[in-house]
Amino acid sequence: MQSHWGAAVIAAPRLPRLTSADWRQLRTAAPFVLPWIIGFFAFTIYPIVYSLYLSFQQYSGFGDAVPVGFKNYQHMFSDPLFFQSLYNTLYYTALAVPIGLVVAIVLAMLMNQNVREVAIYRAAFYLPSILPLFALTFIFIVLLNPGFGFVNWFLSLFHVPTINWLGEARWTKISVVLLAQLGAGGPALIFLAALRAVPTELYEAARLEGAGPLRRFWHVTMPLITPVILYDLLYGTILGLQIFTPAYILVGGTSGGAAYTAGPENSLLFYVFYLYKNAFQYSDMGYASAMAWVLFLISIVLALIIMRWSRQWVHYEGA
Amino acid sequence: MILSLLVVTACGGGGGQSGPPLAGCKSGTSLVTFWTSHTPPDSDSLRTIVNAYNAQSSVGCVKMVQVPGSETDIAKLTTAVRGGTGPDVYMLDRFTVAERAAAGVLEDLSQYGAADLASQYVDFAWQEALFKGKPYALPFDTDTRALYYNKTVLQQAGVTDLSALDPAKGPPTIATIKAMADKVNKKDSSGKYTQVGFIPWWQQGWHYTWGFVYGGSFFDKSACKVTPDDPKIVKAFTDMFWNWSRSLGVSQTQTFLSTFSPPNQPEQQNMFLLGKVAFMISGDWVLGNIKTYTPNLQYGVTYIPVPNQGDQPATWAGGWSDVIPKGAKNPKAGYDFLKYIAGEPGQRQYVKDTQHTPVIKALDQDASLFPGDHQFFQKQLPAAHSRPPLPVGAFYWDQLSTAQDAAVRNTKDPASALAAAASATNDKLKQYCPLP
Repeated sequence: MQSHWGAAVIAAPRLPRLTSADWRQLRTAAPFVLPWIIGFFAFTIYPIVYSLYLSFQQYSGFGDAVPVGFKNYQHMFSDPLFFQSLYNTLYYTALAVPIGLVVAIVLAMLMNQNVREVAIYRAAFYLPSILPLFALTFIFIVLLNPGFGFVNWFLSLFHVPTINWLGEARWTKISVVLLAQLGAGGPALIFLAALRAVPTELYEAARLEGAGPLRRFWHVTMPLITPVILYDLLYGTILGLQIFTPAYILVGGTSGGAAYTAGPENSLLFYVFYLYKNAFQYSDMGYASAMAWVLFLISIVLALIIMRWSRQWVHYEGA
Repeated sequence: MILSLLVVTACGGGGGQSGPPLAGCKSGTSLVTFWTSHTPPDSDSLRTIVNAYNAQSSVGCVKMVQVPGSETDIAKLTTAVRGGTGPDVYMLDRFTVAERAAAGVLEDLSQYGAADLASQYVDFAWQEALFKGKPYALPFDTDTRALYYNKTVLQQAGVTDLSALDPAKGPPTIATIKAMADKVNKKDSSGKYTQVGFIPWWQQGWHYTWGFVYGGSFFDKSACKVTPDDPKIVKAFTDMFWNWSRSLGVSQTQTFLSTFSPPNQPEQQNMFLLGKVAFMISGDWVLGNIKTYTPNLQYGVTYIPVPNQGDQPATWAGGWSDVIPKGAKNPKAGYDFLKYIAGEPGQRQYVKDTQHTPVIKALDQDASLFPGDHQFFQKQLPAAHSRPPLPVGAFYWDQLSTAQDAAVRNTKDPASALAAAASATNDKLKQYCPLP
């Protein structure tokens, strides 16, 4: 599938000359596509361009914008919170993406068991992914309570000392990584589709050659699902860089006991959270827009690195 | 079902002429949208005020909507105002009025004659509602902070002589409170705290609270600079955050707080109400919570402790205000409601329901509004400090909180943490200097 797209992009033929019949057809079709195109320009292209303009202004969101040149970009270099938010976000992404990948593949394999009650497993594994993140986060706070929470109780059975998941800087990001795994059902479904697309005759051939389950997985399954792994890696990285909601729910409000602003030692001050604070709490839309553009560039660079790296390990069937 | 929907739509589309915009309003009134980020029990009282206004007003018919947000987070408001779908009236933390007015989110209320109301309001609250000398808000309420103590918990820990906590003797010293609190600390067999006497930074023991108690100054108006690195504030951070946390055990205290005071905890599970701590710095609104949730609690209220015997007591007053955001559809009727909710009828109801303190001079004289301990809070008001109303107030708060957190966790010493807060905030402040 992926290989066909790839080939189409690389070997795209020049647009053929359109006949008058083609033009007529296009005219008829255009009004049907137009709502989407208008929406795309109004709600995607325009804000993107506007934010680039704003990133060179000092602007509170109201009144007149004052041009400041590259000041917003320069300010990042002297802003410790900018670097901290970047560090927090990269730390989170570096942990959440690979762990999420493994969890999704394992879930997909469990969903792919050849048993009669598999439908029940699939529903059970997928269920947390459709719960609202807001509700999940609240449940998570209870599960992670250092004194009464299920997680610490379970770990205590193995003599693990008490972990203050949400109250100590070194554990907060790991808590959010754990929370993200409850949403692994979505990617798992895609992996499930990929697993089911692996031709059974390959497994049969491998079995005849004497390959055990581990070798079959490593040498048959893995190569054939690498295109989906690449997709998940790219998608997960881009989403990981935009992590916001769990941190906002955990520490965004002011609760009586919380003296900190974005988790202990600002450890949950993720990039987009800090961007949000600049835009809506500190009324600094210009700086927030500049941060958005820098994140955009970071995302592109990371995506390109992953794409290039993938040439070494993604196996396109028939390529 | 469909029929009734059609009927409702038909009525709604007919304009305000025929009937009232909402049930419970008089006919001929026009719809006023009122947004607040308050939650129960405070929002319940706001609803009572709205209903009372609707029943008697021939101008406005208020629809109250609870929206996400907090003291310094007004994302919902700013995006809605920019989108042309903002409310007519919004409840805004008063110390951010100057900041939001500077950003251009608020209407100048002097066009409706608000400047004439100045003499009705307590002066410090009125000053906070001004920007460049013009009113952008009407003050709604205030609050002062004090030291709550749980008599039962103290007595069970063997602290039987509570005479030092009698407000008639003036503020207790911090050393006295520490000696009492230390007797309350209890750990289980695994070494985890099950009870702690006093955690000075929990609840309202903020940077501002202890900074004011130690006589610190947070802002130098003539130099147009914030001064969190004032040696007195550094001393407050060192004593009350750094050293106190260290003596209790930094990580044990954090585990205790995460266990019994996790994020987003509802008020009825407050550790003080449940006897998990013996002392708490908090405001007068807790009196209302105690009445609702733990009416049998044996507690007392006294001054926030001071460093040295004979020091003047100190506290600070905050509070909310009501504003008309830019682009309000119905600002005239909105202002009519503003005068009601931030006027005598609204404040009287709110104070009765929630035990906050009014900011209208006439109500301050009404002793029936301050039963029991509430009088103690109200008496502190004339000498109370208030936070500097800066155009970077929300940013400054976050910077101070970051420094406080570092001090509590013993990760960055107070002097350098506060110096960093000063330089970051002054960097942002200088574009507004000189301040009016």
